[in-house]
Amino acid sequence: MPYQAEISRDNPTCFLFVIDQSGSMDEITETGRSKADFVADVLNKTLYTLVTTCSKADGVRNYFDVGVIAYGGTEVVSGFGGALSGGIVHPISAISENTLRVEERQKKVDDGAGGILELKTKFPVWFDPKSVGGTPMRAALEMTRETVANWCEAHPASYPPTVLHVTDGQSTDGTPEEMADGLRRIATKDGQALLFNLHVTTQGGPEILFPTSETDLNDEHSRLLLRMSSPLPPHLAQFADDKGYAIADGSRGFIFNGDPQCIVDFFEIGTRPKLVADR
Amino acid sequence: MRQKSRLPLALSIPKTEDSRNEDGFYRSAKGVYALSDGASVSFDSASWARILVRHYARNPEFTHEWLSGAIAEFRKLYDRESLPWMQQASYDRGSFATLLGVRIVDEGGLIQILAIGDSLAVLCDGDCIKATFPFTAASAFTRSPQLLCTNPVGNAFLDEVDFAYDLVADWTFAGLKQPALLCMTDALGHWLLSQRDRNSSPISALRKVQTPRAFARFVHEERAAGRMKRDDTTLIALW
Repeated sequence: MPYQAEISRDNPTCFLFVIDQSGSMDEITETGRSKADFVADVLNKTLYTLVTTCSKADGVRNYFDVGVIAYGGTEVVSGFGGALSGGIVHPISAISENTLRVEERQKKVDDGAGGILELKTKFPVWFDPKSVGGTPMRAALEMTRETVANWCEAHPASYPPTVLHVTDGQSTDGTPEEMADGLRRIATKDGQALLFNLHVTTQGGPEILFPTSETDLNDEHSRLLLRMSSPLPPHLAQFADDKGYAIADGSRGFIFNGDPQCIVDFFEIGTRPKLVADR
Repeated sequence: MRQKSRLPLALSIPKTEDSRNEDGFYRSAKGVYALSDGASVSFDSASWARILVRHYARNPEFTHEWLSGAIAEFRKLYDRESLPWMQQASYDRGSFATLLGVRIVDEGGLIQILAIGDSLAVLCDGDCIKATFPFTAASAFTRSPQLLCTNPVGNAFLDEVDFAYDLVADWTFAGLKQPALLCMTDALGHWLLSQRDRNSSPISALRKVQTPRAFARFVHEERAAGRMKRDDTTLIALW
């Protein structure tokens, strides 16, 4: 059975976020924020959650390797700044130590006695919104494929890498489909790498969530992204089902035109490997 | 009925030789035992597990106030404001652990079990398993257990629970020829329930384990054979 490997410090898994930073990501969504701003915020929160999951009183345990690939204009680069910008994938402890800044925010929490308490909370930021130029998606997925291949070679027994790709548009450097197909064929002993795609759009119309087929997708680009997406493995399908999504046999890790909550859920579901080492 | 007011055997080994054991346990000759399995993916579950068993030893009446007292004791261990952001975030999310408490009254005329989470109590007569609590089947261990948390939000599940009925089982040694009581964390509990229908009794196998070295060898062999999950593993046994 694939996707059963115990995730531990000896056998970490890898999350790669591939983020479209093309010019059209500056379009304003119904939340009043640009797509780029919203995606950056969700990505920062996802990284925060991943670090928190690995943090104990005595330090951060390297259960995960994490990378961000950003593409826009003519560039495909590491999405991290500072000391992390020199490479794509880093252990989660390095991510935790190298933020762009740590902001202070207020958080309302249950005080345990029926009341609400305002707590000052430190919130780290790794990734700022950016939107410029064209959409070199093919080059981005080529870099992703190489990164995944190298990682799997170094971690043959691990739970395979999960790639979460966020885009709003059409590739401007050729079709990325063969890169995506190649990426999904790369495997560890525990299964093939997973590629999930999130198509953010301001076009309106119905949202398409974890579909099994292209039937309801109207434009060729969305259909392409669906074909590029891996089926959800059973434990992720179960998690999505638990969150209230209509999941069927063969549901793929793809969302089109999701509302803000769907986008948050896409990241949460995609970064939920079966943590056997949870006790 | 056999005299049971004596100190039970207690054996525990960590997940790996170089990792901290996040199980906590307590046992006394007066018939009060407690076991807590700290979840490793949480801030400081080892301290939380030890606080829970200490609280149970002092007062086995589990209530909301009891839990608030345990949380207050945990919070004294850390100055939240001085923690780096990643540890503050983990501290805020909480530390998680099971609690299995046993109270033996009237020399075994009444054995009261309290169970929250997936640590398992087992009542035996000789090599025969008479009762297990809170689970009766190995498949129950595949679900995520509800655990006690240092963040009160994580304990909201207790609002839906009747403490006296849902968390407690009452057993007795009366009528048993060779009574025994075992408490164990989930790796061993899953092993026991998945082995119970085999020809050789898992109770018989456990009965032979009397020393820390024998326990370590037994656990290593079962892990190597793929029959036991690699996890902190603890057994309290009143044979």
